[in-house]
Amino acid sequence: MYKRYHIETSPVELSTTKIGKFEIIRNDACLNCGRCMTHCIYDVHERDSDDPRIMSDPVNHLCKNCFSCIQNCPYHALEMVMNKEFEKLGNTYWTPQIIHTIWNEAEEGKIPVFGAGYRGRFRGSGFDDIWTDMSEIVRPTRDGIHGREYIATSVDLGRKLAWISDFRRLNLPNSYEIQIPMLFDTNPLGLNSKSIFLSIIKAAHKLGTFAFLDIENYVNELKPYLKSIALRCSLDKITNLDQSPWKEVNFIEIVLTRKFSISELERALKKLKSENRTALISLALTDFSLSKGIFKQFMEARADILNFHADNHGQSFEGNIFICDSIRKLQLDLVKQRMRGEVTILAKGGIAAAEHLPKIIICGADAAVLDLSLLVAAGCRVCKACKLDDCPAEIEKLDPEIAEQRIINMICAWRDQLLEILSAMGIRDVRRLRGEKGRAMFYEEIERESFEFILKQKETAK
Amino acid sequence: MKSVEIKSCNSRFHKNIGKYAVSLSDSCFHCGLCVEICPYCVFERKDGFNHVLAPNSAGCLGPECKEGPYYCTTKCPVDAIKIELDPQWKTLGDFRWTPDLIITTWQQAETGEIPRGNLEYRMGASGGGFDIFDFTADGLTDMSSSEIDNIITSDKISTSICLNRRGEGASIEIPVPWYGAGMSFGSISLPSMLARAHSAKAWNTFTSTGEGGYPDELIPYSNHVITQIATGLFGVSEETIKRAPIIEFKYAQGAKPGLGGHLLGDKNTPGVARMREAVPWNSLFSPFPFHSVYSVEDHKKHIDWVKSINPDALISVKVSTPSDVDMVAVGSYYAGTNIINLDGGYGGTGAAPEIAKKNIAMPIEYAVTKVHKFLVEEGVREEIVLLASGGIRTALDIAKSIALGADGAIIGTSDLVALGCVRCGNCESGRGCPRGIATTDPELEKQIDYLWGAQRITNLYASWQKQLKLLLYKLGLKDIKELRGRTDFLRRIDEK
Repeated sequence: MYKRYHIETSPVELSTTKIGKFEIIRNDACLNCGRCMTHCIYDVHERDSDDPRIMSDPVNHLCKNCFSCIQNCPYHALEMVMNKEFEKLGNTYWTPQIIHTIWNEAEEGKIPVFGAGYRGRFRGSGFDDIWTDMSEIVRPTRDGIHGREYIATSVDLGRKLAWISDFRRLNLPNSYEIQIPMLFDTNPLGLNSKSIFLSIIKAAHKLGTFAFLDIENYVNELKPYLKSIALRCSLDKITNLDQSPWKEVNFIEIVLTRKFSISELERALKKLKSENRTALISLALTDFSLSKGIFKQFMEARADILNFHADNHGQSFEGNIFICDSIRKLQLDLVKQRMRGEVTILAKGGIAAAEHLPKIIICGADAAVLDLSLLVAAGCRVCKACKLDDCPAEIEKLDPEIAEQRIINMICAWRDQLLEILSAMGIRDVRRLRGEKGRAMFYEEIERESFEFILKQKETAK
Repeated sequence: MKSVEIKSCNSRFHKNIGKYAVSLSDSCFHCGLCVEICPYCVFERKDGFNHVLAPNSAGCLGPECKEGPYYCTTKCPVDAIKIELDPQWKTLGDFRWTPDLIITTWQQAETGEIPRGNLEYRMGASGGGFDIFDFTADGLTDMSSSEIDNIITSDKISTSICLNRRGEGASIEIPVPWYGAGMSFGSISLPSMLARAHSAKAWNTFTSTGEGGYPDELIPYSNHVITQIATGLFGVSEETIKRAPIIEFKYAQGAKPGLGGHLLGDKNTPGVARMREAVPWNSLFSPFPFHSVYSVEDHKKHIDWVKSINPDALISVKVSTPSDVDMVAVGSYYAGTNIINLDGGYGGTGAAPEIAKKNIAMPIEYAVTKVHKFLVEEGVREEIVLLASGGIRTALDIAKSIALGADGAIIGTSDLVALGCVRCGNCESGRGCPRGIATTDPELEKQIDYLWGAQRITNLYASWQKQLKLLLYKLGLKDIKELRGRTDFLRRIDEK
């Protein structure tokens, strides 16, 4: 029977993520009259269970910033400040707000819905300079996640032939369909923790996608999940290809070293393909400033996938180019060379929120590789210096099942939000969103187009 | 037009929020000097009592006061008064609605006057759109108060706009270039709706039912209430269409474009459900789009249908702002629309996915410019009224959208802020708004007396009209209609 792809969520609370944005301070003027309790509808204020004559300390993580208790307090005994713990979360890219949002998604598995309008800046850099489009009245669209009609979020990984020259000797390259345009990276911070690897790989397994794992970190425990693992190794370290697990995986990634030669790569790919005929081979590129001609050589060497790696802030390792810009440029280059249809493009690094996913796909990626966001789902706070033995979220002690379910919840929320974006555009298949630059508005273009009168004023002033 | 009654209308809370925290140290011996010198009522001593009460910090002007004759800190004989920035200030508001904007909107709702303090009441801090533009001439600094009063009270500067610019049909003029946006019964409480309607009546402008039906309590205001027809058709009937001078078709909403409407189950109380002819405590979705409208012709069919029920009604179409919004606007014009309401992406909502608010569809600043230009090129601009909504917070925002090409604006969130909203963003679930505005909880909604609320909104509008008149005077204009499309009056303030 036909079955829709469905992600099973279940709420998972995590005590280490109970960090509210606000802190209510009760000062000495309090007479314990309990007026705050009557006015708070979120149970922040309660009487002390042992001594009901006094009010207990406010339960800060429940506070929603409504100011009702503060403004209704007859003795001006309450005030609100920002919670320092909250402000300390993350960094400039992984802002406290981004971390908080992922935590909520990981806890509930639901789309974040709030009242009142948008609260942030008009625009920002990178992803925040892109608005996605919608269709108004003339094109039929669907009802988003509540719809009766199915919107596909599956994508194909692998190489495609540009054309078929001989039907009698049809030799189609292998490809895999994954149901969500998201792949996982098991080790974005170089933590080397078995329990984290296990929870991420198990989540990938359950969701029907792949998780990248460095070959050094492979242990026999992971064997049941081999089909969901993308084994990763740098070009100069590929050895013992005829052994397990190389022979059994469906997906292999080769990290190109700084100075690689194309002949060395060709040799390695040839060897890999002869040992494991079905595995997809992906090339991980860290340098976005590669010359145009090299892509052609990659494809002649029969690489199936190009995976662009940026750092956790979405910046390229060389030259500080943001991942959107690199992928847009790459997309354009490949389209100009008429090769885009033949290869799969993945983007890794800086995918920190649900809206980044459709945006990177619009820029030209087929799918995104999630990394740090998976750890955040498991409770990570993106501290400045990360030490596994001194982790405030106690990531390593976390029950892998809890981490796994939280990752699954987050992915469900992200997929549902992708569906919302697609349905607003009237697109029924995420594959059709790839490289659809026309279905997005980019800040520089739209600002110039709308406010060109300012430029004209300047010219006349001169 | 008869004049609108402005009267002082205080906050309904014990404590107001201010930018500065004033405190008295232990060395205070309650001499009462501060009570005498401070004209802003920060200090108070009840008659017959010795002690000075805890300071009412919200009235304090802060360091700005230093220049004037009332600076308590230096006058206090024992240096007991301390004024500092209130750490609480940081917890209020956001980039779009800064704490300054929220507090000054409250102040305007209390007094009906243009704020005189040092808080920024004209624009937010979002770093783009309206917030990077200012007018080439503005400000009150170089004018005496009598001069200002003359301009404000004069009838020579007009702020009125006409809502029908076609050659046929009813002629409706509103004295201010804005009316109230659709907010449904269910998303906001009945007292909030009544307050808005009452104030719309006082100002001879409009408010809209939103998509939640037309409560009977609004019937006395029917000349000032727009009936909205949205995709779920909740509460739409022949009577409600007949009753309204303007009918609004809502195709999409800026905060959640392309996603339809959404009322979470918690807020669908039996009263709301009755009005919407739905089952209580179930989440209600308005689908997207109208499943009977897939072309301009279908749209015209809808308009014909309404016109056959109520031939005198003007037709307004509310659309959000995709990249082809200009085509949508022209299509609506040819279908016979009188008013096009562009609802920008950063607008308010009772409940919307966070992802939709920032990311889907463009901000109103871009859309207004684009549509205005296109309608001019098509040669139909003079026959249609273009109204901007979705992120219009202040009088200056209205003026800026007019300078960018709109005829006027539609106001939603500011009305609610006048009623005491702090924009905490928890309207969507549970019992709804803890402050009694966007709730249908029978207990919480009692916090608002609708006549009090109406006066607050009326006062806010009065202050806005004064600001617009002053601005027009400064720009050398006599009529708000002359400002339309005058981008030459705008300058960027984010670059030199």
